[in-house]
Amino acid sequence: VRVDDMMPNIPKTPRQRKEPMGVLEQARARLHVSAVPESLPCREWEFGNIYSFVEGRLLDGTGGCMYISGVPGTGKTATVHEVLRCLQEEVDDSNLPEFQFVEINGMKLTDPHQANTQILKALTGQKATPEHAAEILDKRFNTPAPRRESTVLLVDELDLLWTRKQSVMYNLFDWPTRPQAKLIVLAIANTMDLPERMMMNRVSSRLGLTRMTFQPYTFRQLQEIVMSRMKGLQAFEDDAIQLAARKVAAVSGDARRALDICRRATELAELAKTPGRKTAALVNMSHVDTAVQEMFSSPKIMAIRNASLQEQLFLKAVVAEFRRSGLEEATFLQVSQQHECLCRLDGVTVPTMSQLSGVCSTLGASRLLLVEAGKSDLSQRVRLNVSQDDVMYALRDTT
Amino acid sequence: MSKRKSTGLTVVSESASYAELQKILRERIYKISAPEEIDEDSDLEKPRRHLLDLIQRCSSMGESNSALIIGPRGAGKTMLLKSVLDELKENRDFRDNVLEVHLNGLLQTDDRIALKEITRQLQLENAVGDRVFGSFADNLAFLLEALKKGSRDSQAVLFVLEEFDLFAHHKNQTLLYNLFDVAQSQQAPITVIGLTCRLDVIELLEKRVKSRFSHRQIHLFNSLTFDRYLEVFSSLLTLPTAEVKDKKFCAKWNKHVQNLSDDPGVTTILRKLYDTSKDIRTLKTFLMLPVARISLSHSRLELADFAEAHKILTADSKSNTLHGLSVLELCLVVAMRRLSDIFVNQPFNFQMVYNEYQKFVQTRSHAVQGFERPVVLKAFEHLQQMELVRAAEGAGIGGRGQKEFRPMTLMIDRSQLMQAIQKYPACPTEVKHWANTL
Repeated sequence: VRVDDMMPNIPKTPRQRKEPMGVLEQARARLHVSAVPESLPCREWEFGNIYSFVEGRLLDGTGGCMYISGVPGTGKTATVHEVLRCLQEEVDDSNLPEFQFVEINGMKLTDPHQANTQILKALTGQKATPEHAAEILDKRFNTPAPRRESTVLLVDELDLLWTRKQSVMYNLFDWPTRPQAKLIVLAIANTMDLPERMMMNRVSSRLGLTRMTFQPYTFRQLQEIVMSRMKGLQAFEDDAIQLAARKVAAVSGDARRALDICRRATELAELAKTPGRKTAALVNMSHVDTAVQEMFSSPKIMAIRNASLQEQLFLKAVVAEFRRSGLEEATFLQVSQQHECLCRLDGVTVPTMSQLSGVCSTLGASRLLLVEAGKSDLSQRVRLNVSQDDVMYALRDTT
Repeated sequence: MSKRKSTGLTVVSESASYAELQKILRERIYKISAPEEIDEDSDLEKPRRHLLDLIQRCSSMGESNSALIIGPRGAGKTMLLKSVLDELKENRDFRDNVLEVHLNGLLQTDDRIALKEITRQLQLENAVGDRVFGSFADNLAFLLEALKKGSRDSQAVLFVLEEFDLFAHHKNQTLLYNLFDVAQSQQAPITVIGLTCRLDVIELLEKRVKSRFSHRQIHLFNSLTFDRYLEVFSSLLTLPTAEVKDKKFCAKWNKHVQNLSDDPGVTTILRKLYDTSKDIRTLKTFLMLPVARISLSHSRLELADFAEAHKILTADSKSNTLHGLSVLELCLVVAMRRLSDIFVNQPFNFQMVYNEYQKFVQTRSHAVQGFERPVVLKAFEHLQQMELVRAAEGAGIGGRGQKEFRPMTLMIDRSQLMQAIQKYPACPTEVKHWANTL
């Protein structure tokens, strides 16, 4: 059996899955990031732009490129998918000429050159090595074929297609410029200045100036996104959604985060359900606040508080040594001397060097300290991965 | 001591009882990851609930999720996950619904190997027996296609990534991106659980990978109080009354263990152990030696057994190494210690050490004979081989420069040296005196 003859699949379950029943369960299902709505709220303008760009090229039978950028979680890929879905509907109503849609993702390729293979496979079903595929594609886009339909190519995570010679990127942006190609390329990446920063001049000039930036969501937009998913379902208090939206907008403006926080808040609300009542209460501010704490808070202070006595003393010794020397780095030997002093002061048994280096490497493994490899022994350099104030704050009421 | 006791119908000899005792205790202590009962009121209960819910929902509702379990080594991360899975697997629905894939960052050192392992464990069609066909790119495309074709009705896949932080060092973090991406899109339901001991693991992730990760973090800490620690100690040694044949023996032994955990001598030792490290794994290592000693002739655990084990566990390896040196080598170590004290933080070379040693031989030593230079050099090289002396940083390693003049540093602290000299068997008085003038 040849590998490419086989049909990949994951077996079906013998059992039926439960449908979400309660209000909170339904809310949770709708809040899952994968439950992408039919039309994305707050991205109407971007949608219109991309739509008219692709539609225009399809009607003209020409090709072109568009570069779309924005930080993760701002709805880039979802918007483009929505555009293509709408175009497909138009095609079905025969208002538009037919087109072929191909999608590749830089992160789903093992090597940038594999892009050629995947495009070829999606277009014609042929399988070829990357070099051969590039040749075939080149020929295809260069030869005139009057009855060929347009192709829309979506390239996600464009920055991963970078190679030293940039041949993959060059080809992707050069093919649309050919008169016979009828190829429309939509390239998506995170950074706005990627064409200027990473690409050679001849590549970025072919990419052209049709660009679009997706701004991070503001808190109002995030609120609207969550509200729109919750339409007709009373699971949240309004303030609770607002709190989640504000917290996320202040950090990143990532819609995935807002949805995850709300989803976690529904779980917390379910857990807090009073046993007597049949239905759980609404998700309120305190649930969202706990969810935000869980996801954004740093556990380092808790980790220090739960460390053993010697580990805490060692951290203290590191801080003491930093204060003494005025530097942010010390050798293990210096710290061990401070440690000995601290032990004597507190009346704790002084550990042997072997024990102490064990303590040091434990702290290093959980990255409270940054330490060199243990083989440099007494002269291994130790730095803090927490601020000195955090250490002192965490240890203030213990020991 | 071959007294035979009769307990009801069964007659069990005392030596058989001890064999049984050994078997039970050894299994408990040496098998590090043996699952334990988790108390309702322990600190693990809340994270356990969370994890159980998460995995349960993946199987029953087809909801995709991702989570990280973070905690220091020995905090019971794997144990927690195992206990959750064990409980869930008792349910037949769960067993039918869920495929498990276990990966370990230490074994799957790159994405290529990890992919083959996933394909193998999922038994996809490009795997025949334990062999996986196709190139790396094919494997990835095949796996993604398989997951993409899945829907809510497919079997759920549970990915467990141990040593998760090592997966973040793979090229482009391709595997993590794809797993998290599947977990966030409408494909086969999967749950990704990562286990790691690094607190800053989220910062290792690339921006787009981080955005796709759901930021659920379950933190475990070694938060045992000392009283709980003592309880764990006695429960590790206590025999299960139900399983042991000789009930009288069992009762006697458990009484003895109870006495032990009340003994102030034992608690002092345990307190010291607890102060250095709170995890159960260290406690088990500590108990290995005493438990191995129990036999017919040594029928009870004494304070001395624990003291001995503690001494072995906490011994300073450098001091022990120093005990095995010859007098000449010890002299050289003292000389080097003097040099590092005089020229603080400055490296020295063999010539300087030799001069210092010569001074000692000429002025103080009457008993220790002065050795020839080549002999001293040999001793110096021996110390170098034991890594008690190291080439100084930035001096460059390799054959550059003559070995007599290569800058070196000493890797022994003064306190270690003094300790070792006090315990050195038959140390010449002159050397002792000389060391004391440090």
